[in-house]
Amino acid sequence: MNLKNDLSDSELLRLMLAGDEESLALLYRRRQGGIYRFALQMSGSKTIAEDVTQEVFLFLMREGHVFDPVKGSLSAFLFGVTRNHVLRRLRVEQLLAPLGDEGDDDVSAVQAATDLCPLEDLTRAETIESVRKAVLSLPSKYREVVVLCELQDVSYVETAEILGCAIGTVRSRLHRARALLLAKLRPVAEIEETGSATVKSARCFA
Amino acid sequence: MNDEEMLTRGLKALAAEMEPLEAPETVEAKLLAAFRAQQKVVQMPRRQSNARYWLMAVAAMLLIAISVVVFRWNAGRIDSPPQQANKQEQPQNIQPENKRPSLEQFAINVENQTSNPLPQRRKPRRVNVASYRPETAQVANHTNEIATDFIPLGYMNAANLQDGGQIVRVKLPRSALAKFGLPVNMDRYNEKVKADVLFGVDGLAHAIRFVQ
Repeated sequence: MNLKNDLSDSELLRLMLAGDEESLALLYRRRQGGIYRFALQMSGSKTIAEDVTQEVFLFLMREGHVFDPVKGSLSAFLFGVTRNHVLRRLRVEQLLAPLGDEGDDDVSAVQAATDLCPLEDLTRAETIESVRKAVLSLPSKYREVVVLCELQDVSYVETAEILGCAIGTVRSRLHRARALLLAKLRPVAEIEETGSATVKSARCFA
Repeated sequence: MNDEEMLTRGLKALAAEMEPLEAPETVEAKLLAAFRAQQKVVQMPRRQSNARYWLMAVAAMLLIAISVVVFRWNAGRIDSPPQQANKQEQPQNIQPENKRPSLEQFAINVENQTSNPLPQRRKPRRVNVASYRPETAQVANHTNEIATDFIPLGYMNAANLQDGGQIVRVKLPRSALAKFGLPVNMDRYNEKVKADVLFGVDGLAHAIRFVQ
């Protein structure tokens, strides 16, 4: 067991494909967290994240031989598979969702901003929540770079491998994504400032 | 505070908050169960496939045995009395291999064929190995070759062959078989086929036969 802990992902995968259950368990425990979080941050749904995590490892069990270590790391390969599964799942969810729930990305961002009470938004948890909502409201091509580069700490090179694009594209998408996030979060910040002013004046009157 | 810094802090806070999140343990249990099931499924067909290989091997052996029996039976039929009589006549036509082939004999054969050209052209007889081996040996040293009868070409004149001639071994596209009404295996359409062309003293090709 200890010996296998030192094995690389590729070696574990090879053993797993040869029928070693322990290697699958090790590989799963090593990589499931990142996969699950990536799916969760991309979809915003725990159900989807769970399903996708399971599907990704099922894919690895059945089609693991398609992984080529020369082309990149197993981690990048798994993120790529996860991305495909999440996007497919989101497309299906979008088709099945009632029309009322569907909206433009900007509209949802504005709703996310205005739904927040300024006073409650002062707390850290809600700041995080507003960031999470803003990230989820991004178009998928910007969302995935933010999630990978900013939230998962994946390098630009690996992100480019996962998304199948050039590093320059990753950089430009991240730049654009951050600009969109700022635009979405700015009204929240303004409300926050106004809210704190109101609190101060209320205290003065009290 | 700068907006960019605020955003970076917010994203880091979000990442830190989500860091401990992991897939539920039920997912791992389901995966391991699926893995075990898959391993069973993979092992089962191996036994079946071994049995299948054995079955195919036995079938192949049987097929070979039947082919040998049929081949020998056909060979026995060729050696039946009426054909044996013909076979006794054939040695008279056989000449030593290093000598020029008997063009007169070919001419007689070809003439016989031209007197009844249509059936011969439409349905050339595929010559049996046993009966035609000696004739084939006249042209080439390959005693195992199978050859058709000489098929006369359009401008054949048997008289020219009396003065002598020459048989030349050539390779033709398999499509040439179709021109003489012979069946062509379309799977081997692009391959070449051996043929003996009978040239007269006038330098013209008078007859052709295909060799396998």
